[in-house]
Amino acid sequence: MDKNETQSKRERYLTFYIGNEQYGIAINRIKEIIAMMNITKVPKIPSYMRGVINLRGSIIPVVDTRLRFNMDYREADMHTAIIIVEVEKISIGFIVDRVEEVSSIESSSLSEPPKFGGGIDTDFICSVAQIEDNVVMILDVLKLFEADELADIEQIEQKQTQGE
Amino acid sequence: MTKQEQVKAIFIEEAGEIIEKLDIDIIRFEENSSDFSLLNEIFRGVHTIKGNANAFGFIRLGEFVHHFEDVLDYYRSTQESIEEHNLELFVGSVDVIKEVMNCELDAIPTLPQSYDGCLEKIKNLISVKKNKASSAQEPQESTAGLKDLALEFGLSCSEQQQNSIQRAIKDAQAKQSEGLSVYKVDLTLDTDCYKRGFDYLLFLNMLAQKALLLESFFNMEGIVEIDSFKSGENYIGKVSIVVLTPLSKSEADEFFEFLFDYEYEINLIEPPVLEVIKPSVETAKAVTQNIVSNSMSSKSTIRIDTFKLDELFDSVGELVIAQNFIAQNDKIRSIEDESINRTIETLSKITKRIQDRVMSLRMVAIKDTFDKMKRVVRDTSKKTLKEVNLIVQGEDTEIDKTMIDSLSDPLIHIIRNAIDHGLEADADERIKAGKSTEGSVTLKAFHKSGNIVISVSDDGRGINKERVLAKAIERGVISGDENLSDSQIFALIMQPGFSTAQSISDLSGRGVGLDVVKTSIEKLRGKIEIDSKEGEGTTLSMVLPLTLAIIDGMLVRTAGEIYIIPTLSVVESFRPEKEIVHVFKEKGEFVSLRGQYIPVMRLSDVFNLNAKRIEPWEGILVCVETEGGRIAILVDELVGRQQVVIKTLGKTLAMLKEISGGAILGNGDIALILNVDELRPLVEASHV
Repeated sequence: MDKNETQSKRERYLTFYIGNEQYGIAINRIKEIIAMMNITKVPKIPSYMRGVINLRGSIIPVVDTRLRFNMDYREADMHTAIIIVEVEKISIGFIVDRVEEVSSIESSSLSEPPKFGGGIDTDFICSVAQIEDNVVMILDVLKLFEADELADIEQIEQKQTQGE
Repeated sequence: MTKQEQVKAIFIEEAGEIIEKLDIDIIRFEENSSDFSLLNEIFRGVHTIKGNANAFGFIRLGEFVHHFEDVLDYYRSTQESIEEHNLELFVGSVDVIKEVMNCELDAIPTLPQSYDGCLEKIKNLISVKKNKASSAQEPQESTAGLKDLALEFGLSCSEQQQNSIQRAIKDAQAKQSEGLSVYKVDLTLDTDCYKRGFDYLLFLNMLAQKALLLESFFNMEGIVEIDSFKSGENYIGKVSIVVLTPLSKSEADEFFEFLFDYEYEINLIEPPVLEVIKPSVETAKAVTQNIVSNSMSSKSTIRIDTFKLDELFDSVGELVIAQNFIAQNDKIRSIEDESINRTIETLSKITKRIQDRVMSLRMVAIKDTFDKMKRVVRDTSKKTLKEVNLIVQGEDTEIDKTMIDSLSDPLIHIIRNAIDHGLEADADERIKAGKSTEGSVTLKAFHKSGNIVISVSDDGRGINKERVLAKAIERGVISGDENLSDSQIFALIMQPGFSTAQSISDLSGRGVGLDVVKTSIEKLRGKIEIDSKEGEGTTLSMVLPLTLAIIDGMLVRTAGEIYIIPTLSVVESFRPEKEIVHVFKEKGEFVSLRGQYIPVMRLSDVFNLNAKRIEPWEGILVCVETEGGRIAILVDELVGRQQVVIKTLGKTLAMLKEISGGAILGNGDIALILNVDELRPLVEASHV
């Protein structure tokens, strides 16, 4: 990886909204963005997993990011989109409220996520960036995958020391 | 992987293939030891292994193969008929090659036991033969002309070379007849000829299409040490080729028109007038035929990573879906334009064709696997001292490549079983039963209602039902009260730890029972059927889906979703009468069917779906056969039956045992495929 070269430079993130908060995911993780589509329910999976979709012939599981963040369920509207993320050759779709843009963020303007008090789960957030007036929370995709029932995260982590 | 490792990997793969082929060829040769074209084939394989083995420092393998090659070469060139015990030695040698190869791969320092003995025998044989040959002298020489092209690397000194060139020319001259002439072609390519796009092989191949190559000689003096070897440079200074061809000299010149004049030389070799032995017309014909068949049989193939094939498979799937979308789109249909309609029509035809072709890429004839079984039959028959005649039918039947690899082991096991246990132990028993002394085993492959069936039948003593039952009761597999049908009794022999063989031979009882066969077949989504008549024989059939990727599925709807039940496990489906559905207190619902109580399962219950609860007699019960017994799945309605392409749900959902995958329906929706074997425990939990 050419990580060393890009470390001090800018990295590009796809930013999107869930509720009123802006989040970002490193662009090299993202395979594509698609509009909301028909989701087939799959029994006996965690409630935040909405089911599977047919992405041009491949079957891909879809996570409702709102539910994953313990937010309320919201009906899909015209802005709702599914971001297809690929990690270790596994593709997963994440439903988000609205996709914003691709922005370049200086690595120097990234900072450690603030430690919230007890109840709030900050595990998914690996850093926080300031873009103009907005605060963008950069998500750790590996952590989003994480769940006892889901892919064996330890395995993934071993191969992928410290996700971006 | 470094370049060296890559090359090595290719060698290992290639050698494996060659050895596999040797195995098959040698058995065929044993059957028909006068087939010298087959011997040539074997020789070529051994020769290739020799070259490669030495190149990779597999000295022990190289050494053995070298001597084996000498022996083969002797028989090949003299066309002397091969003695029975020597044939045995050949078969044994192939085994040794196989074992030594494994030793070399795993870098095991010890050699297989048979190595020395076998090598000794080969060396003896060759020295005996050589002595005889030198005393008998030249007479055989003239028949040796049809030798194929053997690229002898190194070792021979130039004087020897000259001699053999002379001899080859002489041989060829004997064959010369009208329209065919012998040329000696000398090629002198410089070190950087590769950069110009030339190499010797190129010309050899070109010549081979139009001419019969009689001899070729490579001047290897310029070869450098492996360390200073550069793959981009040519170290072979000169190659002389003696060819027999119907071409004229100027036509032959055309092959080399891209070379400089000094780089090649073609000389016609005139037949010496005195020695003209009237060549029979047949020989000449045979030569021409040979030329034709040589160029015909060089079928070109390329290796493709199966992963790439799968990708192609997926893409074609997408193409079909997209094409369906266009063909069924109302807006597009409403366009009343002749040319658009025609184009859509063409598109759908082409798509269909592409789909069929891509599917066929994965299919290979089962012949190779069956050929391997000939060896198994032979070995087993020798070990058990039973005479066995193998009958093979339907070896052209095509089957999914990925499936073929996992079929060998079960087949080997079943065949061994058939010979070891199926056939009567001694000939007297067979004669008493009015059968010929030679037992027969039939290996058959055929299509049956969308499945492929591979069956192994023997004409042996058949399965003794009483003994199976007694054993099953003894082992506690069954209680003895059950009223079992014949097929259920036969199925018992596939239970783990079940063997009715009274003695354990080294063929069976190696810990690989029929239960392993059953599991591996089930992994391929197939099943095993056993049919047997006491005293007449047993047939074991493996019923397999056409390809691993496609199953025949029954589409059912429940709670608004469509699920797929593999048709292979469906016994029947019906709408029950209210009277035959029984609810036992705290035990759940059962349906009584021909005296059997089958638990009724609601998918909405086990999958926690929100659905209006329907009564069994309002819906349809689909009765399925599972490992643990039958269950009746209650569904709202049957949607249809179709072939579906199985897709995995991905690693993230792999823990869902009840669902074996998903399939994409014509409209683009996904339907989940039920794994009925995993549903049964769920039913048991609710039907205590």
